[in-house]
Amino acid sequence: MKILSLFISPLLALIIGLLFLGISRKITAKIHWRCGPPVYQPLIDVIRSFSQKSISHGAFFDFGIILSLSSSVVLIYFLPVGDLYAMTSGGLIAFLYLMLLGPFGIALSSAASGNPNSSIGVSRKFLLALAYEVPLLLVLLTVMTHYNTISLVEIVNIQAGTGMAFSSWALVLPGIAYFLILPAVLGVRPFEIVSAPQEISSGPVAEFGGKHLAFYTLQHALQLFVGLALFVNIFLGGGTLFGLLNPIAGTVWATILGIIIFLVKMFIVLVIELFINAVYPRFRIEQAMRYLWKWPTLIAFVGLVIVAILN
Amino acid sequence: MNEMSILDPVLLIAIPLGLAFLIPLLGLVSKKIVRWIPVVGFLFNGIVALLILPHVLKQPIIVKIGGFVPPFGINLYAGSVGMLLASLIAITGFLVSIYAVKYITKGAEQKYHILFLLLLTGATGVVLTGDIFNLFVFFEILCISSYALVAYLGTRSGLEASIKYLIQGSIGSSFLLIGIGLLYGQFGTLNMADLARQIVDYTEPSVFVSMVFMITGLGIEAAIFPLNAWLPDAHSSAPSSVSAVLSGIAIEVGLYAVIRVLFTIFAVSNFFIFFMVLGVLTVLIGEMSAFAQKNIKRMLAYSSIGQIGLIVFAFSISTQLGVAGGLFQMVSHTLGKALLFLCAGYMIFRTGSMEISSLEGIGKKMPITALCFTIGTFSIVGLPPFTGFASKFMIIRAALANGELLLQILIGLVLVGTIIEGAYFFKIIQTIYFKGAHKTDNREEAPVTALIPMLILVSFIIVIGMFPNIIDKVLQPAASELLDQVKYIGSVLG
Amino acid sequence: MSLELLIMFAFGGAFLTYLAGKISSKLRDIFALLCSVALVVIVSSLYKVETTITLYNGFFGMPLSMRLNPMAWFFAIAIVSSSALVVLYSMSYMKHRERTDYYYFMLLLINAAMLAIVLSGDLVSFFISWEIMSWSTFLLISYNRNAALPAGIKYIVMSLIGSMCMLVGIISIYTAFDTITISEIVQHMATATAGYKLFLLIIFSITFGIKNAVVPLHTWLPDAYAESPSPFSAVLSGMLTRMGIFGFLLIMFVMVGAENSLHMGRGFFSYHNILAWLGAITIVIPTFIAMLQNDAKKLLAWHGIGQGGYMIVGIAFGTSLGLAGGIFHTLNHAIYIILLFLSVGAIEYSTNGLRDLNSLGGLFKKMPIAFLGGLLGICGLIGIPLTNGFVSKWLIYKTLILGKAPFLAFATLLGTWGTILSVYKFLHNLYLGQLPQEHQNIKKTPLAMQIPIVILSLTILVFGILPGLPLKSINAMIVSFGFTPLTVSIWGISSETGTLNMINIFSILLVVVAIFWLIFQAARKSTAVDQYDNYAAGAAIPKDKYNYTVEFYAPFYRMATPYLRDIFDMLYQKIARFTEFACDNIRKIYTGYVSDYIIYIILFLALLISAQLKWSVF
Repeated sequence: MKILSLFISPLLALIIGLLFLGISRKITAKIHWRCGPPVYQPLIDVIRSFSQKSISHGAFFDFGIILSLSSSVVLIYFLPVGDLYAMTSGGLIAFLYLMLLGPFGIALSSAASGNPNSSIGVSRKFLLALAYEVPLLLVLLTVMTHYNTISLVEIVNIQAGTGMAFSSWALVLPGIAYFLILPAVLGVRPFEIVSAPQEISSGPVAEFGGKHLAFYTLQHALQLFVGLALFVNIFLGGGTLFGLLNPIAGTVWATILGIIIFLVKMFIVLVIELFINAVYPRFRIEQAMRYLWKWPTLIAFVGLVIVAILN
Repeated sequence: MNEMSILDPVLLIAIPLGLAFLIPLLGLVSKKIVRWIPVVGFLFNGIVALLILPHVLKQPIIVKIGGFVPPFGINLYAGSVGMLLASLIAITGFLVSIYAVKYITKGAEQKYHILFLLLLTGATGVVLTGDIFNLFVFFEILCISSYALVAYLGTRSGLEASIKYLIQGSIGSSFLLIGIGLLYGQFGTLNMADLARQIVDYTEPSVFVSMVFMITGLGIEAAIFPLNAWLPDAHSSAPSSVSAVLSGIAIEVGLYAVIRVLFTIFAVSNFFIFFMVLGVLTVLIGEMSAFAQKNIKRMLAYSSIGQIGLIVFAFSISTQLGVAGGLFQMVSHTLGKALLFLCAGYMIFRTGSMEISSLEGIGKKMPITALCFTIGTFSIVGLPPFTGFASKFMIIRAALANGELLLQILIGLVLVGTIIEGAYFFKIIQTIYFKGAHKTDNREEAPVTALIPMLILVSFIIVIGMFPNIIDKVLQPAASELLDQVKYIGSVLG
Repeated sequence: MSLELLIMFAFGGAFLTYLAGKISSKLRDIFALLCSVALVVIVSSLYKVETTITLYNGFFGMPLSMRLNPMAWFFAIAIVSSSALVVLYSMSYMKHRERTDYYYFMLLLINAAMLAIVLSGDLVSFFISWEIMSWSTFLLISYNRNAALPAGIKYIVMSLIGSMCMLVGIISIYTAFDTITISEIVQHMATATAGYKLFLLIIFSITFGIKNAVVPLHTWLPDAYAESPSPFSAVLSGMLTRMGIFGFLLIMFVMVGAENSLHMGRGFFSYHNILAWLGAITIVIPTFIAMLQNDAKKLLAWHGIGQGGYMIVGIAFGTSLGLAGGIFHTLNHAIYIILLFLSVGAIEYSTNGLRDLNSLGGLFKKMPIAFLGGLLGICGLIGIPLTNGFVSKWLIYKTLILGKAPFLAFATLLGTWGTILSVYKFLHNLYLGQLPQEHQNIKKTPLAMQIPIVILSLTILVFGILPGLPLKSINAMIVSFGFTPLTVSIWGISSETGTLNMINIFSILLVVVAIFWLIFQAARKSTAVDQYDNYAAGAAIPKDKYNYTVEFYAPFYRMATPYLRDIFDMLYQKIARFTEFACDNIRKIYTGYVSDYIIYIILFLALLISAQLKWSVF
């Protein structure tokens, strides 16, 4: 299974990620009473980008973006999609740290270009990351403390019996907090401060063209996938649905159905997020930080206190 | 007595005294030779003292002047304490007089050398005598020569300081004399051992009055707070070679006298708490005043007050360890402070100013002197591996040995004083090495006659600091001699 | 090779280096380098040797001894190897500076003193070496003049306070147990009361807390790090400050013993828990203060404080996993912070002393090796996987999470995320972004400065991928403290509660990077351009370039600046000013009027007599 998932997981994640990017553009457009591009538009863009002209500011400029995409792929290996996962070493902590590498690689790459717009974008990205990491860390700590393990797979397995983490009421508050910060993690409205095309020429990607831009888009797609999948894994029971698949447990069909259930859950979460958030205008960075450090952090903190007391 | 004729403690007093009076005569022959007389005298003294020292560790030598048996005649008591201090005085005297050969070139040279010899003769007399009136006489010799030496430069500040010193010193001498007179009136004897024997049995509180007078009188020279106001002026206005001796020898001899009177004659035990507090107060006030100084010699003078406070504190613990620690601190203070004053002397000479700010860049100009100065400050602050650390170690050990809360609090305050001391000394070191222009003009090192004593002192500081066992062998018998009054009486009166 | 020889070599080498400098500076450089390399060789030849020797009994008859055990060896090898690299680096860095003989002398003396500290078998030689280290450090901090002077004073005063506390502690042990040999103290400690043990723990914690810069005793550190010459900043941050960690290990796990020091007090108010919380505060606040710094070395200095907090948390938590994490982090921190200081030093060297984050940038093409050092250094500092910092931090997080201390874990994690922001700013403002015109033609980094940077960079990766190498030796150390050993293999740690396999992650990342690199190469080739090519999106390039470096996180600064002040520093400054004021007034007791002085004398006499009359003291 592990060997298999080494090949399947990244492909699945890339395709689903790109698809979700397209879907979100479409849905946002519909909400705005626009027609919007087809859902496969991002995929087309990526393919087209590869054949286009690009500029490079040297080896480091290239290296950063390759590192960013590669580390995102490695991240996928840590993430159980149903029964599909390749690595467990280091658990959720290693996962958290690998999550860093993606933005970090892009930051290195774009800063090597020397464009001030890129620098502003990176500065915003890190500030935003700091803002949402505070509640995110609290949430993940709550989960790890609650289950007394640092292994992501183990957390998923424990939940498999229940179907949803919400059956464990101690994790309700962290779940709400995670849901509130999810758009920031995904970098969608109203938190698209980092790219903000109208202000800072798309920020970090200002100097990216051709294959650099294609790599960036792929990385972005993977990030979207990871953010949603983590939520599904931790709070929505992963690839299980109230024991629906128990009768056929262990078969190939169970695995495939598990993956499908997983993807459907992700899709639902994405759509709800979009419905709620697409109507908001873009935050300024201070507003985003204030918001993230206020309600989500407070809720997550209360959640952690409750779990700490329970233990 | 015959086979030890060269090892007669009397020589320690007689030779310098004789040389002092010989100077005017020799001065007629050659001016140059006069400068070397103190050197020769103290070299002799040093050798004799160091030769006697091993003998007295087991058994003190009691010299009966004129053959009268105590308590009837004047006697010298060359015990471990006396010989330890006498050796220290002789060695310091020797080194400082080498220094003075080139340093003292202006003014009445001959008189300087006479007074210098007399000062140290007086000091040696005080530490060796066994007779309380004799002690007063030697004390006066010491004081009067130091009044004169303070005014040696003839500057306005020197004269003013000298007069102030004279006034306070005279009050001290009078008090001392009153105290001695009262004792003589009561007991009819001036021999310390005899006095001690009689006071043990004597329970009348009137003895207290004479004790208080004696302690106040001696305390002025010993620079115990609040009797030390003369010290900063006097020590800073004197020529540096004199300051070295005043800080290194004179006040410690005064302190020795206080301790001798307290321990041996009066043997008071419930008085020490008072002295302990006084010592800590002296430390704090000395160090805090030093901290605010801008004049290097005044700073060193105030630091001496602080050090004296520490020594007083150590003695007042009045245990074997405490007294040994106090004596050790005396030794390290003498070495350290003499070194500092000697270095400062030439630093001031070269820059022409006593302001600390004028010492900027002197580390490049006079590297060896600056290095010696640095080591001196490290030792005074009590940093290993220099002697100041070893003595401070001993004192803290003594203070903690009893497990008394008061002592623990007081030693804490003493350590606060040490930190303040560290702060101002380290500031000077920074000024010497790291302030001022990067490039300086040519080197202007101190002359060889100044460097030799400094380097010898540095080597003492390092060697004793690394191997305190050398001196510990002397300190332990010395401490027990001070503490054991009965033995003292016994060894004198038989 | 015996220990006496090692110590004599270390101290003697320092003196001889100074003397060699009087003959020729070339000879001195070579001699210093040979000496430090020889020390590395000697120490590594002593691997797994356990021995005790008595040096001499000259100090009041106390047996001053040296002993070698896993703990001493671990720290010794770190000290000598970092010092060898720094000496090599200094050969070029210090070439045209003044007083270089003195610099080398002090550097080697500090090195020797640190070696003596970790090897000392009794508390007195420990203290003596500690003090030698303190004053020689003071002398070297002050080396850069000007702003370095107040930094030096601040350092030495705090260091003296610490030393005095330790001296009291040592002498009280000597009084209580009548021995100063550490191995004997351990045996006597069983008979001591809990209160006495707590006293010892606290008084030594003050000393080591000052040295390791635990909040609120950290205030000496930022100035001292920033103002020292860069190679020495590296030593200072890498090993010297971590003598505090060595001290904590010594007092907590060797002398007082784990079974005592981890059960001192109740619940939250136990010694080790409070220490752990102090560690957590040390992580969070300084890390965020670091973000506000505009001086590259000061930024690193604040991180030096913050990272020290991780070690404290790991050690104070007191499980074998946490302990291993704390100790390993000490080593890792030494490696990457030395690397970072050397990297900044290279910039200082090339730009004639610039280290202002607002006026540099874009140097990565001009100084590729220094940039590599900077990059890997900050990766280690953040703890990016595959660098050494990750493994030790992972161990600490895991300890805290599984040890039911989620709030401590949150503090440590938050510190890491704060670290990312400030070190990225560090890297960006020095090496990335635009290259200002005036730095187009800067001096090249000399080879002697490149070699240490390359070695350290490789070490970061090697220890990150094969953490088992140092962890084996750390394992031996924690076993000697009486903890259960960890299951360590060359690639990481395996246990029932979660395995860490670095080589696994490394190989997968390597393969994925290779694949994407091939894809990248297969795609259409990009044209190489310079930094202004796309600057104005094809329009004419303006004369004044806009470079985004100053106030890099402006929105955050606006929000956080009022809260991120070093209140302790302000408090201590206030105390210092008050002391100065008090000193100035105390001095006025000596008025200068003889009449006053005589009054003092009379009053003293009167006081004594009246006290006698009233209470009959005598």
